[in-house]
Amino acid sequence: MAAYVVMLAWSVYLGGALVMELVWRPAQEHLPMSQIGVACQVMGRRYRWLALAMLAVIAATGLALLPGRGPGTLTLSTGYGRTVAALVGCWVLLVALVVGMAFAAHPALHARGATELTPEARAASRAGVGRAIRRMDALLRVELVVALAATLLGASLPSGGML
Amino acid sequence: MRSYWFGVIATYLHLIAMATYVGGSLIMELVVGHAQKSIPPAQAQVMGEKTADRFLLLAWSALGLLLVSGIMQAYAKSVEPMLMGDGLFDSGYGWSLFLMIALWAVLVVNGSIMTFVLRPRLKGKMGAQVGAAQVQARQGHLMKTVRQMQWITRADLVIALLVPLAGAGLLHGNGLFTTGVLAPLGLG
Repeated sequence: MAAYVVMLAWSVYLGGALVMELVWRPAQEHLPMSQIGVACQVMGRRYRWLALAMLAVIAATGLALLPGRGPGTLTLSTGYGRTVAALVGCWVLLVALVVGMAFAAHPALHARGATELTPEARAASRAGVGRAIRRMDALLRVELVVALAATLLGASLPSGGML
Repeated sequence: MRSYWFGVIATYLHLIAMATYVGGSLIMELVVGHAQKSIPPAQAQVMGEKTADRFLLLAWSALGLLLVSGIMQAYAKSVEPMLMGDGLFDSGYGWSLFLMIALWAVLVVNGSIMTFVLRPRLKGKMGAQVGAAQVQARQGHLMKTVRQMQWITRADLVIALLVPLAGAGLLHGNGLFTTGVLAPLGLG
């Protein structure tokens, strides 16, 4: 059952990252900016908690699965142990990325300037949002690459690891 | 057991395809669908159409990749004769494999109904010279199609949640029917 739960949680996490990159991002081109902002905000609010919950479930069920491998396999002298260590590293990186996106990069996308702004201040505010969008794009791609690398590491575990 | 890397790549592709279909369906329902309700109906319709079109492409790619990587996995584990039915029902592993293939086939049938029957119905447009009765009939027809699509989507979600259960049994043991949650059925 733990194997099922970890697989399902990982599927939701990776599937979510893929949908955001391959479905939502291209679909945005057909919507007005104001509606993209609203949809992004609602989506981001829900997705961040779902992603963090899935990462927590992966950690809990992953830990529950480890003792089943038998004693002596979880050391850095075995391929299995090194692969698990790399997976833990990926997990820490993913948590840091999701937290960074949820509580820093995402709010910066929806930062609102004061109503009475000088043209220079308005331009600066727009430039700030542009930078925030580029930063968010870069973070989402890094997240996807790390998630795909972690999937490869995980796929090798039933065969004894790959490192 | 055949080549190590062949097996790892097969499992990797299978996991990515499963995540795309299972996780993607759940995120489309729980996150994208939810956000769609927060914008005005006209834009929500555009968003729904564009995201559904792209996800449909992704879902079909995932179903294709599941088939290819599943066959690769059977070769990697030297159980490919089971794919031809040889000894398929003699072990818990075979029963689990059969369950996975059957569920995959249901997903393909449901996907075909959605892609080739229901979605084209939604895209059809009416001419400018139509009466109120025709407009009403068309609206009723559209509502019925949307309800049918919702039912199929929900059925797909339930099936998509069952497929990894069978997969986890195969990846970490001898299948669901011998060591897994369906062991009491005694099909091992």
